[in-house]
Amino acid sequence: MRQVPSTIGPPPAARRARSAPPLALACAALLAALFGGPAAAAIKLRFLTAVYVDGAGKPLATPEGVACNGSRLVVADSSGGRLVTFTVDGETVTPAGEIVLPQLPSPIRTRLDSKGNLLVLDGKLRRIARVSASGAFTAYVDAAPGGAFVPRSFALDRADTLYILDIAGGRVVVLDAQDKVVKEIALPSGRGSFSDIAVDGKGTVYALDSVGRRVLVARKDQAAFAPLGADLAADADFPTSLAVDEAGHLFASDQDGGTILVLGPDGAVQSRQSGPGWKAAFLRAPSQLCLDGRGRLIVADRDNKRVQIFTMIP
Amino acid sequence: MIAMWSSKLLEAVRFPALMQQTAALRPLLILGRGALPRALRRLPLISGGRALAAFAVFATLAGSAAWGAAPPAKPSSDDKFHLKPGAKGKLCLDCHADFQETLKQPFVHTPVKAGECSDCHNPHASAHGKLLEDDPDKICAGCHAGIVPEHASSSHPPAAAGNCTGCHDPHASKFKNNLKVGGNDLCFGCHKDLQTAIAANRFKHSPVDKGCLTCHSPHGSEKSVSLLKSDVPGLCVGCHNVTQPSFVARHKGYPVAKANCVSCHDPHGSSAPGILWANVHKPVANGMCSQCHNDPSSPQALAVKKTAPDLCRSCHGDMIGTLLAANRVHWPTLDKKACLNCHNPHASPQKGLLLAPMKELCGSCHKDAVEKQTRSVTKHPPVDEGACTTCHDPHAASTTHLLANGNTLELCGTCHDWQTHSTHPIGEKVVDKRNKNLTMDCLSCHYAHGSAYKHLSPYDTKTDLCVQCHEELKR
Repeated sequence: MRQVPSTIGPPPAARRARSAPPLALACAALLAALFGGPAAAAIKLRFLTAVYVDGAGKPLATPEGVACNGSRLVVADSSGGRLVTFTVDGETVTPAGEIVLPQLPSPIRTRLDSKGNLLVLDGKLRRIARVSASGAFTAYVDAAPGGAFVPRSFALDRADTLYILDIAGGRVVVLDAQDKVVKEIALPSGRGSFSDIAVDGKGTVYALDSVGRRVLVARKDQAAFAPLGADLAADADFPTSLAVDEAGHLFASDQDGGTILVLGPDGAVQSRQSGPGWKAAFLRAPSQLCLDGRGRLIVADRDNKRVQIFTMIP
Repeated sequence: MIAMWSSKLLEAVRFPALMQQTAALRPLLILGRGALPRALRRLPLISGGRALAAFAVFATLAGSAAWGAAPPAKPSSDDKFHLKPGAKGKLCLDCHADFQETLKQPFVHTPVKAGECSDCHNPHASAHGKLLEDDPDKICAGCHAGIVPEHASSSHPPAAAGNCTGCHDPHASKFKNNLKVGGNDLCFGCHKDLQTAIAANRFKHSPVDKGCLTCHSPHGSEKSVSLLKSDVPGLCVGCHNVTQPSFVARHKGYPVAKANCVSCHDPHGSSAPGILWANVHKPVANGMCSQCHNDPSSPQALAVKKTAPDLCRSCHGDMIGTLLAANRVHWPTLDKKACLNCHNPHASPQKGLLLAPMKELCGSCHKDAVEKQTRSVTKHPPVDEGACTTCHDPHAASTTHLLANGNTLELCGTCHDWQTHSTHPIGEKVVDKRNKNLTMDCLSCHYAHGSAYKHLSPYDTKTDLCVQCHEELKR
C-alpha cells in the first residue's frame, strides 16, 4: 500500500498541477483556525488494492461498472458479458462468483440497492435490468416516459428510488418502485453530452456533462438543472462517471485524463487524484466510480482491465 | 473644492485617459487638448493656490464666446514639437523625399494628407517600430475606435487583433479605403482555398464576382456569423424574390423564405446545379423534400415527419440496424439530435454530409484529443489531419474507444509495419510487466493522440520508458 501523489503520471508536461503552495495552505489553515471559517479539507486517495481476476483466475476483460456496499463488490465486465462478484472484508477482497445472464450481454453500469439487489445497465441493449442478490434476472426496468427514451446511466437514492439519465429525451426520469414515472428533470439543451448522474442523501441530483466538462445540479424540488460551480475544463479532459458522498463531495472519473477529480459541495475542484499509467494506483480510461460508505472509493479501471480500491483520506 | 477640480483638470490635461474617467470633467473634453492654453498645459501637476488660479484662468477662457465656438481639434505637430508655422509634414519630406510619390496616389490617409506625420510617428524616438507613437493597433483605434463592434457575433481576426495594416496601407493607396489590393484579390490573399474553389465552380453566384463585401462586413458583424452583413435568409432574400413562381417551383412549393439557405446552397457558388453544396443528400438532389418534410401545403410544411434517428432509419435501416446491434454505440447517435449531431440532412461540402471537417467536428466534443495532438511533439498523421475514422468507428463498435479493430497491433499495422519497427517482444503472449492483465501492444509505449515527448512516448527518454517494466535496470 502506498500513497498516491495528487499529480502523478507519465506526461507531466501535459497536465496542470493543481496543488496549492504550502505557504498558501498554511495561511488558509491559520485563517480558518483564527476565524472559525470552514476548513475545506481536500480528500485524497490512498491506493489500497486492485482486483484483476475472478475466483477461477480468469482476468477481468473490460471492467466498466462497479457497485459496492461495504461488504460486497460487483464488477460489470462488459466485453466478458458478465457480472463478477466479490466480498470485501477490511482490506481483503475475495472472489464470490460470476453472474452471466442472456439478458445482459454487455453490462456497463451497475448499482446495488438497499436490499442487495442489483440494477444493471446493458450497453448493447440499452436497458436496465433488475438482478436479485442471488444473481437471478428479475425484470427489465419498464420505464415508459413519453417520447424517445435511451438510458445512458442511472442512480439510486437511499429509498431505492431510481433516477435514469435519458439522453434521447434530454432529461432525468425518476421512477417509483413500480417503475412509474413520478418526475422528470429536464437537462439543458445545447451542446453537451451527459454521461452520468449521482444522487445524494438529500435527493439532490447531479449530472455530469462530459463534453461541457461541468457538473449540473438539481435540488430535490427543482425541475431543471443549473451549473454547479465553474466548469472543469482546467482539470478534466473527458469526465464520464460521477459519485457523491454523504458530505456532498463529488468524485468524477476523467476517462481521457486518467484521473479522479475531487470536488467540494460547491462544485469547486479540490484535488486531482491518481494519474494516467499502467502500474497499480494509476488509471487508464477510468469508468464507473463507487463509494462503499466505509471510506473507500472503488473505480473500474477499464483499459487497465482491473478494479482499483482507494481509501479516502480526509 | 475648486482646488480639487483644478487639480483634476490639470491632471487630465496631462493624462487624457483620466479625463475620460472623470465624468464631471468630461464636458470640458470636447474642447480638446489642442484648445487648451499651452501655458496651462505646461503647468506641473499642482494643487492648492496654484491650481485654484489655473482653474480660474481656464474657466474664464472656457466661458468666453471665442472658446465656446472653437471646433474640436487634435494637437497639431506644431503644438507638440513647437515647429515653425507650416513646417509640419513638409519638414519630414525634406528628408523623406521619396514619400512624394506616395502622396501622388489617389487615396491618401487623412492625417498624411494634412501633413500630420507626428499623429502616428514620433520624430525623435520610440519604443515601437517605424518610430510609431504606440502599438499600431492602438494608433489606428485612436481615430477609428469601434471598427469591430464591441459584442460582435463574428469578427475578422486581423481586425480583432488590430492588424489593420494587413489590409490597409496607412499612408496611401491606389484603392479606396487605402486597401493594399483592390477587390476580392485582397481577401483571396488569405482565403486561397476559397479562391481556388470559386474559380473551379461551374455555377457562379453573381455577388461573389461583384465583391466579397456584397455580403460580408470586413471588420466584424454585430449580429451575424461569418461576418455577414445580416442573417441568412434575410441577406439572401434581399436579392432573391421568394414569391417569384420559378423560385417557388424550384423549391417545390416549400416556404423556404424563413429557412437556412446555406443548409443546401453554397453561397460562393458550386459545380452542382442550383449552387448546392458538393455533396447532396439524395432526396434533396431528387427534389423529394416531402420524403422527410411534411407536405408543402401543410401549416408546418418544414417540420419533419419523424425525428432522427427514426426518420433516417427509413432509408438507412441497415446502417442503423448495425449500429443498434453493436455492443457499444457512440452515444450521441442516440441522443436528442441523434444523426443530426454530425450530419447535415440536406447538403454539405464534406463527404458523408458531415457538418464540418472531421477534425473540427469530432474536436467539438473531443477537445482534449485535438489539444493533445496540437501540443504533441511528434504528430500522428490521422489525428493531425483529422482522419479520425482511420482508427475509430463514428457510429458503433464492439471495442472500447469505438476502435475499428480491437486488436491494436492489427489496427496500427494497417499503417505501421511494427514487426520491423522494433525488436521488442510484442503480442498477445507477452505480458506487460506493469499489469498482469495486459499484454504488450503499441499502446503500451505510445499515446495515439499525442504526447509531450518524441515518438508519442509517455516519457521523455527511452530509459525512462524502458525502466517502467525493466525496473532491475533502473539506476
